[in-house]
Amino acid sequence: MSPTSRPRRNRMRGKQAPEKEPAPPKSRAKKRPAPRAPSPFQGSPMEQLRRWFAAKGWTPYAFQEEAWAAYARGESGLIHVPTGAGKTYAAYLGPLADVAERNQKGLQVLYLTPLRAVSRDVEQALLEPLLALDTDLEVESRTGDTSSSVRQRQRERLPQVLITTPESLSLLIAQEQAAENFAALRAIIVDEWHELLASKRGTQVELALARLRRFAPDVRIWALSATLANLDEAARTVVGTERTPTLVSADLQRPVDVETLVPEQVDTFPWSGHLGFTMLPRVADWLDPTQSTLLFTNTRSQAERWFEGLRYLRPEWEHLLALHHGSIDREERERVEGGLKDGSLRLVVCTSSLDLGVDFGPVERVIQIGSPKGIGRTLQRAGRSAHRPGATCRILFVPTHALELVEMAAARDAIARREVEPRVPLSKPLDVLAQHLVTCALGGGFTREALREEVRTATSYATLTDEEFEWTLALVREGGPTLRAYPEFRRVVEHEGRFRVTDARLARLHRLNIGTISSDASVQLRYWSGGKLGTVEESYVSRLKPGDTFLFAGRRLEFSRFKDMTAYVKPAKAKATQTPRWGGSRLPLSTSLASAMRRTLEAARQGDVTRDEVAAAWPILDAQARLSRIPGDGGCLAESCHTRDGYHLFLYPFEGRLVHEGLAALLALRLTRLQKATFSLSVNDYGMELLTPTPFPFEEALRPALFTRERLVEDILESVNLSELARRQFRDIARVAGLVMPGLPGARKSTRQVQASAALLYDVFVKYDPDNLLLRQARREVLEQQFEQGRLARTLERLEASPVEFVHVHRPSPLAFPLVIERISASVSNESLLDRVERLKERWSQADARPA
Amino acid sequence: MELLPERALHWPEAGVLAVADLHWGKTESFQQHGIPLPVGVLDDDLERLSTALTTTRARRLLLVGDLVHSRQGLTGDVIQRVTTWRRAWPHLDVVLIRGNHDRHVPALPPAWNMEDRADALDEGPFRFAHHPEPAAGRFVWAGHLHPMVRLEGGADRLRLPCFHLRTGVGVLPAFSAFTGGLNVRRGRGDRVFAIAGTAVVEV
Repeated sequence: MSPTSRPRRNRMRGKQAPEKEPAPPKSRAKKRPAPRAPSPFQGSPMEQLRRWFAAKGWTPYAFQEEAWAAYARGESGLIHVPTGAGKTYAAYLGPLADVAERNQKGLQVLYLTPLRAVSRDVEQALLEPLLALDTDLEVESRTGDTSSSVRQRQRERLPQVLITTPESLSLLIAQEQAAENFAALRAIIVDEWHELLASKRGTQVELALARLRRFAPDVRIWALSATLANLDEAARTVVGTERTPTLVSADLQRPVDVETLVPEQVDTFPWSGHLGFTMLPRVADWLDPTQSTLLFTNTRSQAERWFEGLRYLRPEWEHLLALHHGSIDREERERVEGGLKDGSLRLVVCTSSLDLGVDFGPVERVIQIGSPKGIGRTLQRAGRSAHRPGATCRILFVPTHALELVEMAAARDAIARREVEPRVPLSKPLDVLAQHLVTCALGGGFTREALREEVRTATSYATLTDEEFEWTLALVREGGPTLRAYPEFRRVVEHEGRFRVTDARLARLHRLNIGTISSDASVQLRYWSGGKLGTVEESYVSRLKPGDTFLFAGRRLEFSRFKDMTAYVKPAKAKATQTPRWGGSRLPLSTSLASAMRRTLEAARQGDVTRDEVAAAWPILDAQARLSRIPGDGGCLAESCHTRDGYHLFLYPFEGRLVHEGLAALLALRLTRLQKATFSLSVNDYGMELLTPTPFPFEEALRPALFTRERLVEDILESVNLSELARRQFRDIARVAGLVMPGLPGARKSTRQVQASAALLYDVFVKYDPDNLLLRQARREVLEQQFEQGRLARTLERLEASPVEFVHVHRPSPLAFPLVIERISASVSNESLLDRVERLKERWSQADARPA
Repeated sequence: MELLPERALHWPEAGVLAVADLHWGKTESFQQHGIPLPVGVLDDDLERLSTALTTTRARRLLLVGDLVHSRQGLTGDVIQRVTTWRRAWPHLDVVLIRGNHDRHVPALPPAWNMEDRADALDEGPFRFAHHPEPAAGRFVWAGHLHPMVRLEGGADRLRLPCFHLRTGVGVLPAFSAFTGGLNVRRGRGDRVFAIAGTAVVEV
């Protein structure tokens, strides 16, 4: 032990000895420190760490040596190697040796992880090498799960190594003494950067990193990433515009073995839907509790149902089976993660909540239930199995409806070709900047020029104009450029050139609001007796009546009452009748998978049924061919159809639901220019439906000119104004920019009077401040993300160039069927409100007059 | 009784115009909480109120609760704009029947010149009250719920503010344009009148 270091409360928190049983999480904060054993290894800190590494039986990979050397040279960059190859220590041991060498107090290494659920694993991994060192170092986490007493202590003194999430980092930056807290920072490690990169959370991290580079100019930044198509961009984004990143990668590609569980009888297999329960017995047969297995589902409610289903089919697995998703209470999640690690739990039904994380060691098999959505994501999930360098990853696809069989054949093909998607960072979202400005104003304040230059070192904001910066600053100061319109508004105030937040109430509200993850207000779920179960969305709870039963965390619960943002429940005697639905973005089919899907269908159209999945789906594809056509890779299939509901147009570009949403709104607008009409739109990953109650000459209208890219942006903007899309997008923007107060537990009741739906706010803005820049951003985001503008333009190019294959069908084809039953939301109209009401009335009176 | 597209109820025989849920100062409450909402709703709402008063030539205006959104929202500017509007209608009797939001405001600004009632107002065969609770022997006109109606059929969908007439109780639409609403649950024999732009249509 170094003579200068004093024993401290919570030092290493009793965890440095690997042979010791980990203390249960609850008592950890209070645990007394274990006596410090001297390091068994000799030499400098880096030599000690190398000896520890060797004592573990590991030999450093070339990429690890490379990463340690690059760190020692003071470089920043990106470490890119497949999951399970030892990224964490590649990035961490360099900084750790550095910190041990210097042996100083204060925060020196910041480890950023996107999921607070995995911070425990990271903490374990980062604590372990400490026993090789002679220096006392503290490694602690600070996430949304951190207790308030620990937080209070960290407010006074931060550990040398801190593990945190993007949101908690922003909260630290919002502290008055942020500049001092971060001044001694030596290294920042950003884990799972590919997960953050293309989202607003990624942008939030970029801005935070820009701030930290200002506080600690010599800080080295290393990102860890799985396979991406755009590694250089990912590396540039994490280090900022003022540095040249070093790229450390290793060709440690693990073989991936993909299999699809093909249904025996495709005739009885559903044409749509996502639950996939018809496959439950086959999956139960396939499962083997001696092989520990993760079952990935695409939604939390699907995970609940599958867990319940498996429990029902295999009651004997009760103690081996568990459920894991992001809404389940932390303690339960930790129990499940612990059970996976020590092997007591063998089968875990989960969602993306287990996509990330350090190591589940013994997981042997991975099942993907429903569409894999993307190639990178599938590889990542597959990589969860046999989490050892060089071992073969295994993943089993389980289709939930017939056409997913084709998707799975396509995914296998794309995986074989390693067609991983790029993840593109956002371009200067102003809502995130607005939030960041308030964060900086709280965290010691800022001056205009300095912050503007700092923000521009974040790659996503490199092209931020003076005008855009001033607008955003005006937004948080005066509410907008038209000062008169916002007389009572003040969030950030200027005093002698320094911008600060002076109103304590606004400061508190901002802290509650930090973050960019969009979700409905979440409500605590508790037993009457007091036990916490997790969270559900307020909108779900608000529809429940006392006595309603539902499934949550694998339990049947009866709703009793809703009070103070808490839903009280008791165990239900009756069978649960429903499962909560959680919002959150449904991932669209990725570009890689979509194009693989078109290829696979083209092959099927040519009669190629060599792939098992295609052969199994053949009865459906054959029905599609007989009723209409199988969509090919060349032209785009269009179908028109007249039913009781009205006149349908179906179009199948296979470009993912987001592009289809944009395209549907755009086409609806352009069609209404040809003839007055009201269209309701419906989209899925494969195509779209436009439905109108009045006859419409679709075939004549579908000429190449309809797909022109001329006036694309203007037309989308116009269709966006007409439809719900921008309004929906505005919800997230309003949240991030602080226009909507989430009903967080602990928020005082006074915020209740400022609850309004973002849709209502959107309407107010459109009417009274149409030039508001957040509206602009809503439109821009709808263009860029919602519709994936670039992808949409490429789609239009394809549609304009290749002929539309137009078929009139007498009833909806197998491809159309899911669109018909999943009809949704948006509509585009240029008829007057009164016309529409009268026509709706007419329909009902006809319906009433019809004999029973 | 006439149901007006200005979101108001007209009782011609008595020269009475009734509106509910005006939520004056709501935008300003948001601004005070650091939410930069533009103003303009209040001016538009007052203008719509004037239109209804002009077309009906009503002598009395009944405000059926939730006049003021919150105490913080009642800024000097809001008080002044309402005062200016009030001065344009010097001969109009204005009665506030208090609602749940109004409890935050102990007294109305004197310049508004309004009768301030804590409880329901009985007039002829009617009772005017904020909460839509039935009363023995009287038909109740109330607010509070901000009723909205969903219309859908085949391809089209709409959601509009509406009047919801149940047995013994008629619920007025929220007058303020800056209000959300609850979808009406239609009981047997209920009548629903939707506000479709400049017309009121039974649906």
